[in-house]
Amino acid sequence: MRVSVPKSLDAALGLLAEDPQAVVLAGGTDLMVAINFGRARPEHIVSIARLAELKELVAGEQVLCGAGVTYTHLLQRVRDRALVDAARTVGSPQIRNAGTIGGNLGTCSPAGDTLPILAALDATIVVVSRRSGERRVPFSDWMRGPKQPALEPGELVLRAEWEEAGPAQAFLKAGTRNAMVIAVASLAMVVDRARRRVRVALGSAGPTIIRATAAEEMASGLIEEVGWERPLTLTEAARARFADLVAAAARPIDDQRGTGAYRRHVIGVMASRALQRTGAAA
Amino acid sequence: MVGKPVPKVDGAGKVTGQAVYADDIDLPRMLHCKILRAQLPHARILSVDTSAARRIPGVKAVITGQDLPIRFGILPVTQDEAALEGEKVRYVGDPLAAVAAIDEETAAAACDAIKVEYQELKPVMSIEAALKEAADEPIQSYPKRSDNIHRMVSYEFGDVAAGFARADHVREDVFFFQGSTHLPMEQHSAVATYAGGRVTLWSSTQVVHYVHRALSKVLELPMSRIRVIGAAHGGGFGGKTDPFAHEIVVAKLAMLTGRPVKCTLTREEVFYAHRGRHPVLMWVKTGVTRDGRVTAMHFRSALDGGAYGSYGAASIFYTGTLQTVTYDIPAYKFEGARVFTNKAPCGPKRGHGTPQPRFAVEMHLEKIAREIGLEPVELKRRNFVKPFSRAVNWLRITSCGLEECTEKVLTASGYANRKRQPGRGMGFAISTYMSGAGTAIYWNDMPHSEVQLKVDRTGVTLFCGAMDIGQGSDSVLAQIAAEELGLEARDIHLVTADTDTTPIDLGSYSSRVTFMAGNAAVEAARKMRALLVAAVAERMGVTDLEEIDVADGRVGEFSFEDASVLAEEKFGALASAGSYKPPRIGGPFKGSGVGPSPAYSYSACVVQVAADARTGIVTVERVWIAHDIGRAINPLLVEGQVEGSVYMALGEALMEEQVYRQGLHKWPSMLEYKSPTFLETPEMHTFLVETDDPEGPYGAKEAGQGPLLPVIPAVNLALQDALGVWIDEIPVTPEKVLRALEAKAKGEPPRFGPRGFPSVPYPEPILVEPPDPADLRVGDELELAFPMKGGGPPSAGAGRSPSPPGPPRAPRVR
Ligand SMILES: Cc1cc2nc3c(=O)[nH]c(=O)nc-3n(C[C@H](O)[C@H](O)[C@H](O)COP(=O)(O)OP(=O)(O)OC[C@H]3O[C@@H](n4cnc5c(N)ncnc54)[C@H](O)[C@@H]3O)c2cc1C
Repeated sequence: MRVSVPKSLDAALGLLAEDPQAVVLAGGTDLMVAINFGRARPEHIVSIARLAELKELVAGEQVLCGAGVTYTHLLQRVRDRALVDAARTVGSPQIRNAGTIGGNLGTCSPAGDTLPILAALDATIVVVSRRSGERRVPFSDWMRGPKQPALEPGELVLRAEWEEAGPAQAFLKAGTRNAMVIAVASLAMVVDRARRRVRVALGSAGPTIIRATAAEEMASGLIEEVGWERPLTLTEAARARFADLVAAAARPIDDQRGTGAYRRHVIGVMASRALQRTGAAA
Repeated sequence: MVGKPVPKVDGAGKVTGQAVYADDIDLPRMLHCKILRAQLPHARILSVDTSAARRIPGVKAVITGQDLPIRFGILPVTQDEAALEGEKVRYVGDPLAAVAAIDEETAAAACDAIKVEYQELKPVMSIEAALKEAADEPIQSYPKRSDNIHRMVSYEFGDVAAGFARADHVREDVFFFQGSTHLPMEQHSAVATYAGGRVTLWSSTQVVHYVHRALSKVLELPMSRIRVIGAAHGGGFGGKTDPFAHEIVVAKLAMLTGRPVKCTLTREEVFYAHRGRHPVLMWVKTGVTRDGRVTAMHFRSALDGGAYGSYGAASIFYTGTLQTVTYDIPAYKFEGARVFTNKAPCGPKRGHGTPQPRFAVEMHLEKIAREIGLEPVELKRRNFVKPFSRAVNWLRITSCGLEECTEKVLTASGYANRKRQPGRGMGFAISTYMSGAGTAIYWNDMPHSEVQLKVDRTGVTLFCGAMDIGQGSDSVLAQIAAEELGLEARDIHLVTADTDTTPIDLGSYSSRVTFMAGNAAVEAARKMRALLVAAVAERMGVTDLEEIDVADGRVGEFSFEDASVLAEEKFGALASAGSYKPPRIGGPFKGSGVGPSPAYSYSACVVQVAADARTGIVTVERVWIAHDIGRAINPLLVEGQVEGSVYMALGEALMEEQVYRQGLHKWPSMLEYKSPTFLETPEMHTFLVETDDPEGPYGAKEAGQGPLLPVIPAVNLALQDALGVWIDEIPVTPEKVLRALEAKAKGEPPRFGPRGFPSVPYPEPILVEPPDPADLRVGDELELAFPMKGGGPPSAGAGRSPSPPGPPRAPRVR
């Protein structure tokens, strides 16, 4: 096993162009687990841990989040409520110090905690390679399937970008404990009042991150009625209807972490709570 | 010294990284060992081809079942394990070959290169399946049965039918308690050397003596040619109380290669080594009078033992016997069975066999109380056992602070006046545990604990076979010796858990060390003190030895060191010894050896939870727990044990499960096997109740296991209080809570749990007459075998002479 440790983005892209089969290593919190359990035996590893270019985080009107930004870094710097809440629940302090958003995108698991939020923020993933230069992938096209990111050989995730969406955001995660837990189900909701946009995305609810579009439309309609700049007061019936629509979008399975039936139920409960929180935040 | 909350004597070494754990040991020319484990749950081994593995450069030895054919096991009745299986494998993880190589990677690669040909057999994965005829062949052949039942027991104490006839109300319930594992921080590890015809083994074990015996048997070496040393220990909780395959394998490989060999299990392998909590299905039927007095109880258990015996033959008894030392049950029938399944073997996890029935009985009594319209706490209280009494199954109860513990937690929590609000609730439960098993694992009449002391110009050295597994047994021994010799705990040098240099102690299991090694230490130290005092008195010209004070580092007019010089001048080499053997207090019937203990600890607990009816998530907010410790030799350590027990219990109550899918462990990793973190740990209020047990050292009893037991039912009952649903199954997961709430909404019984108890072909019960009613009174007929209080070095025979306990002392509440 060969390990290259390039010191610049350019050098890294050069190595990946030469050997498109090489595997990228960021924080290693997914990759090293796979290697230790014999599930991955890469011949060539390109570590991107030293690349300063990937660690940039610009938090303005337009948020630019480098692939090498760790959860700890996100927690300290980002203003998006949902992302902060998600970063806080990832693993343990050690995992948050090492694990990166680029790694979450690279692993591309439906249980990746930042992924429903990137979906709800309508983020764009910027990838780069020697051969094709920069390429922009809307998040909705990122997950080709479970663990199948829209990455071509030789490509590297450069950053995720999104427009600052305001305070009406929520991230909820159901799991057995409050730390070191892979989500049984998760839900991100963003009400972007400036752009008059509602997004609801589900994690661990199917093979990829799922958007609950019918529920999004329903919530948009409700907010439209009272006005986008005003807080929303909700009837019990409206909350229940919204919850049902979100739960109906889920395609959960039974696995060792939970049953499909429980997942669908808890997604409904989280949806109702997310609508309450985001509706109230104006 | 005794009663002072001094820090652990080994604490600094552990937190600064100076303690040497087995895996830290790195010897010149050391080889690394990896074990090949079965990947099928049940299969005959047709062939094992190691030729490719042997050809890998760096591989020094490869062994299989043929190299270690002699079977072993912790209990003499179940010698059913092989260090490496040669004929068949019985669970995923069963060891079948081992490699010693120059590094771990090479050893792992060699394991991968070993080819095993199997003939698959049908796996048996549940209690129900194990009770049926085996599809092809039983997992173990020695029970000589066509099903997979391992063992069954059946007893009837007193006239149970008459008891039920006398009852005004009778109720039956069924409960299930899922298995869980110990999850120690340190993985098992062992290092062996072979030099001069002797094997030396360092291991992360709880019981150097039993490992010593197993090595001797399997390696066919006399015990005099084997030395077992307990390395610094990173946690056991019962999981390191069996002799293990890797310990025998490294010794064998060291003998074959002439080089030191180390094997450290991976975390995944620790889940397979297991020996954890048995999954137990339970049926209980109880009769009570109108005013809530129990008239009779009938209790059935079916234990899922996994693939091997381990401590299982004892575990069956433990699910039944201690009911009667918790509540006063005038007539009691107990039927127990253990089955084999194709899972990692179960054994003794903290509380060994008793948390399951504790959960069942506490829930069951609560249901009965609700049915007859009595406050559950009141019903339980009316049935508490009394101090200095004898139970219907002959178990002898000495000090008992159950009432005081109960009072303490009820008052502190405000249980009786708690605010009734949906989503918040409190639960109350009690428990009992043994201060050491009254009998050894294998029959012998020797002491269970021995301590030797040496005093010279380097000070005091204490030698004892006890293994400190983090519970603080080293600290307790040092404190006791220091107390008797007028020194500080840090003045006592300790040599422990080394079969060459220390006298026997049976090990850290069954909460026995403080009680047993502690009593031996008291005896040894008092004998040593007598020597020092005699020498000093002679020099001072004092005839009344009582006048010589032994305190604050001085013996009479002399410093301790000067006193020791005087004593050495007078007596020669200064050595003393003490030993402890539990009194023979079992009843006059076969099987009475499991359950008796020289003293029982008692605990009471109130838990407060918040329960979310929409998600089913239960959050434990506060725990109040009171523990009758007899006397706290070190309150800091006792509180640590109590709080650690609470923490472990909460994991079992709400999330921990050692479960399987298609023959495979569902989650053999720390990430997916869910156990609580700091974030789930609630506010705990711990109270120590002191009842001065007449036979415990300074009155002390156990602390390490009993406090775990009441917490689990208390959590469950708090949830019942909060949402009005019964989860008759452990763990209480959100899904189960929601299912019970759904049932409640539909007007069905608001319950989640097993629907019935399978038919088990229990044998005819052994009928046992209860002890003489005179014995049931508080009292002086009780054979109290080891009255330690009252000062003065006990004479050689003192350990065996019965003498009355005197009136029970008023308990002291801290
Ligand atoms: C104990 C533990 C707890 C965990 N808890 C959580 C949790 O709560 N929530 C959660 O979402 N995840 C969790 N994880 C998973 C993991 O921490 C995250 O997925 C993390 O974001 C991975 O980032 P990394 O930098 O460590 O990735 P790595 O392991 O270095 O890489 C992961 C994958 O992404 C690829 N990759 C990495 N960076 C790039 C890049 N810039 N361009 C292209 N490909 C790239 C790698 O080639 C690899 O395939 C946990 C993991 C562990 C071990």
